[in-house]
Amino acid sequence: MSKKVITRDEWEKKLNDVKIRKEDMNKLVMNFLVTEGYVEAAEKFRIESGTEPDIDLTTITERMAVKKAVQCGNVVDAIEKVNDLNPEILDTNPLLFFHLQQQRLIELIRNGKVEEALEFAQDELAPRGEENQSFLEELERTVALLAFEDVSNCPVGELLDMSQRHKTASEVNAAILTSQSHEKDPKLTSLLKMLIWAQNQLDKKAAYPRINDLSSAKLEDPSV
Amino acid sequence: MPVRVVDSSAPSQVSGGNSGSTCPQPCTLLSVGQAFSGTQNVSNVQKDEAWRVNVRIQGCDLDHGYLCGTMEALNVPMADTPVITFWEGEIVDTKNHTFFTGKWEATLEDDIRHWSKFPSFSPLQSQVEADGGKSLDLSNYPYIFMRWKELYFVNVGTDCGLTIAGFYYVCFSCSDGSINGFYYDPNSSPFQKLELKSTNEGRSGFSFSSYQLQ
Amino acid sequence: MAKSLVKTERKQGFHFLFPLEIPLASATMPTSASVSAATSASRPSTDLVARLGSSDREVQLKALRDVKNQIIGNRTKKLTYIKLGAVPAVASVLSDAIDGSVCGSSDLLVQSAATLGSFACGVDAGVRAVLDAGALPYLVRLLSSSDEKVIDSGARSLKMVYQSKLAPKYDVLQKSNMEFLCSLLNSENENANGLGASIITNSCKTSAEQKALCDNGVLTKLIDFLDGSMIQREASLESLASIMNENGEVTSLFVEYERGQALGLLVKLTNERSARTRLLACECLIIISNVSSRYLKWKGIETKLISYLLELLEEPGHIGDEASFALSNYIEDKEDLQKLACDANAIDVLCTHLQNQLLQPKRFEGILLALANICSRLEICRAKLLHMQEFNSINDALHHDCADVRAAACICLRSVSRSVQNLSAGFFMNEKIVMPVLQLLHDPSLTVQLAALRAIGNIVVDFRTHKSRFMKWGGVKQLIQLSMSMNSAIRLNSLWALKNLTFEADNQCKERVFRELTASSLASLICDPEPCVQEQALALVRNLIDGSLDSIEYVFVEGSIILNAIGRHLERASTAECKVQGMYVLSNIASGSEIHKDSLMELLFQDRENGDPLYILNFLQSNDSHLRTASVWVIVNLTNPSCLGASGRTVKLRNAGVISQLKNMVNDPCLDVKLRVRTVLGQCMTFGE
Repeated sequence: MSKKVITRDEWEKKLNDVKIRKEDMNKLVMNFLVTEGYVEAAEKFRIESGTEPDIDLTTITERMAVKKAVQCGNVVDAIEKVNDLNPEILDTNPLLFFHLQQQRLIELIRNGKVEEALEFAQDELAPRGEENQSFLEELERTVALLAFEDVSNCPVGELLDMSQRHKTASEVNAAILTSQSHEKDPKLTSLLKMLIWAQNQLDKKAAYPRINDLSSAKLEDPSV
Repeated sequence: MPVRVVDSSAPSQVSGGNSGSTCPQPCTLLSVGQAFSGTQNVSNVQKDEAWRVNVRIQGCDLDHGYLCGTMEALNVPMADTPVITFWEGEIVDTKNHTFFTGKWEATLEDDIRHWSKFPSFSPLQSQVEADGGKSLDLSNYPYIFMRWKELYFVNVGTDCGLTIAGFYYVCFSCSDGSINGFYYDPNSSPFQKLELKSTNEGRSGFSFSSYQLQ
Repeated sequence: MAKSLVKTERKQGFHFLFPLEIPLASATMPTSASVSAATSASRPSTDLVARLGSSDREVQLKALRDVKNQIIGNRTKKLTYIKLGAVPAVASVLSDAIDGSVCGSSDLLVQSAATLGSFACGVDAGVRAVLDAGALPYLVRLLSSSDEKVIDSGARSLKMVYQSKLAPKYDVLQKSNMEFLCSLLNSENENANGLGASIITNSCKTSAEQKALCDNGVLTKLIDFLDGSMIQREASLESLASIMNENGEVTSLFVEYERGQALGLLVKLTNERSARTRLLACECLIIISNVSSRYLKWKGIETKLISYLLELLEEPGHIGDEASFALSNYIEDKEDLQKLACDANAIDVLCTHLQNQLLQPKRFEGILLALANICSRLEICRAKLLHMQEFNSINDALHHDCADVRAAACICLRSVSRSVQNLSAGFFMNEKIVMPVLQLLHDPSLTVQLAALRAIGNIVVDFRTHKSRFMKWGGVKQLIQLSMSMNSAIRLNSLWALKNLTFEADNQCKERVFRELTASSLASLICDPEPCVQEQALALVRNLIDGSLDSIEYVFVEGSIILNAIGRHLERASTAECKVQGMYVLSNIASGSEIHKDSLMELLFQDRENGDPLYILNFLQSNDSHLRTASVWVIVNLTNPSCLGASGRTVKLRNAGVISQLKNMVNDPCLDVKLRVRTVLGQCMTFGE
């Protein structure tokens, strides 16, 4: 017995038979723009397509200010803004708070302010480890940055990457969204995950034109 | 005394005999620590033979129709020492277990054939043949029916020349603690009879000890 | 600077690099000039606290924001500032701003309220400080502001206070309180709704309160919130649990609301994205199930609930921790649910979590308790757990640093050691298991000691005559020491263990126990102030004198001190259980020699004023069938026809009215009693009527 084979023609015919409403596509796009915080794009899109966003666009501005502050490395500013928005967020989210403090330390080290960084680590990060043992491992990793002269070449060097900033920024963004009762992930992301899962399931039963590159969404013929 | 599993530190007892249930009532002679001795008749066509057998109850959980203990066979020709096995029993209480075995290669016919060898089974026979005895009220019946299955040898290896592949149909008399049973195993001589009496182990009277699991 | 990290022990690692003490007297400014202003401003200082009292509003506002931003999320700083007296200072800002009603003071109101709220968030000392500073009434006044942000701030802060157990009791039975509460729930402001719900969760304890809330439409309102925003939903779920807790009436109102719509909504919430919502919804369903299991018997909710809880175990932090306790609670004492859990592979899932090296104590405890509950009644579950590799982790948990984990490990061990099959196979009586448990008998925590003691009580029921090992490991000695404890629970459980130990024990073991315990100690335990201790002492005697004939002598040593104690006990025994054990002791004595039987007769008939009935007569008439049974056994043994003095004893018993009492019992409702009575009467007939 072998797997069923579905040809490109058959597949494309099936695809064409699936009807998706334009309004639903628009909603997906709007949901993405709004969740990720692209305010201007959302405004424009609303005018062009007539799709109403499901979040008040003014709240997005505040949230984006926070995200931007983190992405620029202004953690203190970000913390103040979050606390103005909703003081409960950081008070009830120890992991997030820890990551923000961690980012602060990283920024101090990046700017070469070693003594300040040492003091900060002692005053602000050490207590987090005491308050919550599960942070200890990550804490040690971060503090390890201080032990190396050439930080960009040390085992924990990736903490200095921009990707770390983005990670922290995303975390804050998600926490704010959650506190405002919104889904923290755009629906589009979930759909893509489902696509990948569905293809994996189908792989066990059939050979069919597959999307291997999500950014191009090109169908690649099954190897028979 | 039956074993009780209790959660609180202070043990509590059920007062009063029976609360409308149709299951057999507890019997002090069939409780943990009680010992029985007698014989198992292993005669076959070639010769007459009987082993001395001692049985001791180790565990008793009436709610689940469960019993367990050890069986010791003495003067077994193939073995140098007494052979001890550990067995588990199913109490026929129409709630957890019925008269129908449904396993161990025993058919309905085998069941009826063996149960009916106990005189105390006759009053129940017609009901059992009709519906397995599900509607019987055994709460006042002075006999308790069980199946005993030996699970493993405690003190010898499986190559001792004995088999525990079968099981016993057992009838226990609540009034005097005597036990009768028949060993069933398609690959052994049929109807090997087990006859045991409640022993007092040298005392002139009945003595009881017990344990309780928390 | 080192080129490579020195790898030290987990906890020590950070300490190696930096000393951890934060100087409390950090009121002094840092001496190093190179430290930037930014860092120094973020150190707690009395200076900053002083600025809170400044007459300059700008300075005040900045100081408030500074404190607020320093303490949010930072428990350590909160405690430091509390010690520096910051809370009363902030409370003054709030009260002045309200009383003074300086225009444009909403900033001060919002910031001071937020700061107070943060002090109270998760920190008991903070809640206390806020209450002591008299801030509560002022925070309440913020709720009637026209400024939405002010209401938000006030409501959030009050919510923090009311989430703590230190919050003042809110009496909902008082009319004005109830009205205020309802106004919070009816408000347009979500945070006010959340506050209302928190107050309910905190203060609703009695059924009168639950009913009063229902009567005022609170239940309906909370059900509406289930369909609202996340804040409303989660707050509502917690309140619903409080309102329905152990209250049949309110629970059935909920379940029947709009023909089950509310219940359906609740079930739907168990599938929500937010883990916290899912957990709270599950906990609500558990509350409902505890009131009556039939409510959840449709659409397989029971099984689903178990799967959801198992999934929630994956969540980090306290959600995952709570999920394990919720699961434990759900299946506790319920055999059918334990079976469902077993079928849902709960044991495997829980054991997988045990493999985690970084398992936090709270979660470890929860998982152990869940395993203990799954195995509490079903042998299939115990057998499964005992054969898992992770059973070793449970064993190791006996050495854990955290007392709660040690106790939970003992509870788990006790649960699995209910397995008669494995007790029979000698599974538990080995050094690896027993030694650590014996050590825990000296644990600093009483809870752990008791848990260990109960586990030992089961383990010593070893049928393989490995009891000698237990003696070798010093177990007997420890148990006997504990039987002299001032704490009655310890006395009770150590005697219980000794009783189990001496069940079917050989003479050597019994001799050892008796000798070390001493007859006089045993006699005094029979007269212990606590009836349950008395019962175990009697049961221990019963086991000691079973077995070989001469072990009956134990009750006769030292001038029959034990026998006399038993006699005195039976004259005035309080509980049925004690009487039952006492009669079984007598029964065992009566199964002995002529001398034993005659001594027993003397005991039964001693000090009898004419006309006083024997206590055994009373016992024979008891409502308790176990007591009747035990008492008849005594007579069975005393009148055993194979003994010389049987007819003489029978005459005496007849004269005391015992035989005629037995004749009345020929059709006793309890089969056991009936059969023994007939045995006695049959035996008596051999001596002539």
